Amino acid sequence: MLSAIVIVGLETRREVESGVLSENTTSEFSIEATQLQQSTPLACVEVLGRSVVGRVIDEVRRADVNAISVFVDARIAPRHPGIEPSANITVSNSENPWGTATQQLAADVETGTVLVMRASAYVELDLVDFLQFHREQGKAVTRAFDHEGPLDIWILDRSAIADGEGLLTILQRSKPARYSVGGYVNRLEHPRDLRRLVVDGLTSRCRLRPQASEIRPGVWIDESAQVNPDARIVAPTYIGHGSRIEAQCLITRCSNVESNCQVDYGTVVEDSSILSNSYVGIGLDLSHSIVDGNNLLNLERNVTLEIADPCVIRPNRVARKERNRHSPVIFGFGGSQFRPAEEGPS
Amino acid sequence: MLTTGPVVVMQMPEQLNSTAVRAFMQDMQPLLEIHRPRIVFDCSQVRYMDSAGVEMILHCLEEAMKRDGDLKLAALSPESEVVLELMRVARVFEAFATSDEAVRSFNAVPAEGVSQEATWYANVFGEMRAVKQAT
Repeated sequence: MLSAIVIVGLETRREVESGVLSENTTSEFSIEATQLQQSTPLACVEVLGRSVVGRVIDEVRRADVNAISVFVDARIAPRHPGIEPSANITVSNSENPWGTATQQLAADVETGTVLVMRASAYVELDLVDFLQFHREQGKAVTRAFDHEGPLDIWILDRSAIADGEGLLTILQRSKPARYSVGGYVNRLEHPRDLRRLVVDGLTSRCRLRPQASEIRPGVWIDESAQVNPDARIVAPTYIGHGSRIEAQCLITRCSNVESNCQVDYGTVVEDSSILSNSYVGIGLDLSHSIVDGNNLLNLERNVTLEIADPCVIRPNRVARKERNRHSPVIFGFGGSQFRPAEEGPS
Repeated sequence: MLTTGPVVVMQMPEQLNSTAVRAFMQDMQPLLEIHRPRIVFDCSQVRYMDSAGVEMILHCLEEAMKRDGDLKLAALSPESEVVLELMRVARVFEAFATSDEAVRSFNAVPAEGVSQEATWYANVFGEMRAVKQAT
């Protein structure tokens, strides 16, 4: 019987590789590494309508896996991770997902072969071929590799599981057979990789497809999105569920506006990603950036700004009618200790 | 305040908010009232900028242009550059890596070229006003 374990954790690949992390420890390092969205791995961030984790689970489900167990680090904010329990999918929240996975694996005596994936990278992998390779090699553990090195995807036989030994320890000390992944791989180690995944998805360089209707070549707009007729949408572009694009806006050059966002009057979004539940204010020029709530990461200059003024960018939670469209544009950079100014220049 | 010949180099405060802007404008006002002011804002110390700071810089540029002068920016941090670009004002200014470069650039521009630029800047300000009115 083939089952799958998907770990959605905060640890970095370096921690997994080095053995710093074990079933009994939790990671502190990676919280800093995911500063764009505090305590949220990039694999959980919505990309063209669905998170990478959600897409991974869909892929595993299609490969006739009997049972899929997803172990999510309890510190991860539940932000559209695309992980919903169903008939053959169980989802567990735990402060130590590797440890919990080990316990479940030990209790499940029917398990024959286990596919173990750490939801960190976007990998286009032929699971059937991967399984076939594992069987042919005759080793207890097979690991996927690409040209840059190991990926956090393993196939594990029941025989490799020793009493009292943790799943991560087994994977770390094993000498696995090496399965070469020939397909597209994006390791999602930096927000820059997230942006690259969007561009590659919109330009068909990978199989990641936008979750919306292609209303004209290269323009995907969700049915529930509202795009003002006076806005200009230039392909390739994606506008997600429930998002609003106001008049005189220009969305261009592989930009994506994820779900429940608003881009206000006259703003230009060029080569940028607006992550879900974000508001982008009036008359701005957003380029080469990722916006997440009130955080702005400019990839060209590698600068992260926390914008204090909600009229510029902010989490999109305030109802439209509550906003004061005539309030002065006040913003700042430099950290959360700075608050918006109360008045303009004298 | 540093002065190099006819070009005035102003050291911008670390925090460019409404409080700092008021104090800064008291020093700036006399410099803006001379004929053909040539000003460089050295932004190397700026660690925080809000809309009051951006509006003050725009106001100074506008005043300098009215008198056939110009205002240039120097030593902008990446954060300042991102904010100015986001607010669509970065293109309005000439920006230089150092104050010295900015000062030298004034000497490289013939005086009669300044008023020709003013027409171009006036169009930009016109567009900005139109956006503000529309919103």
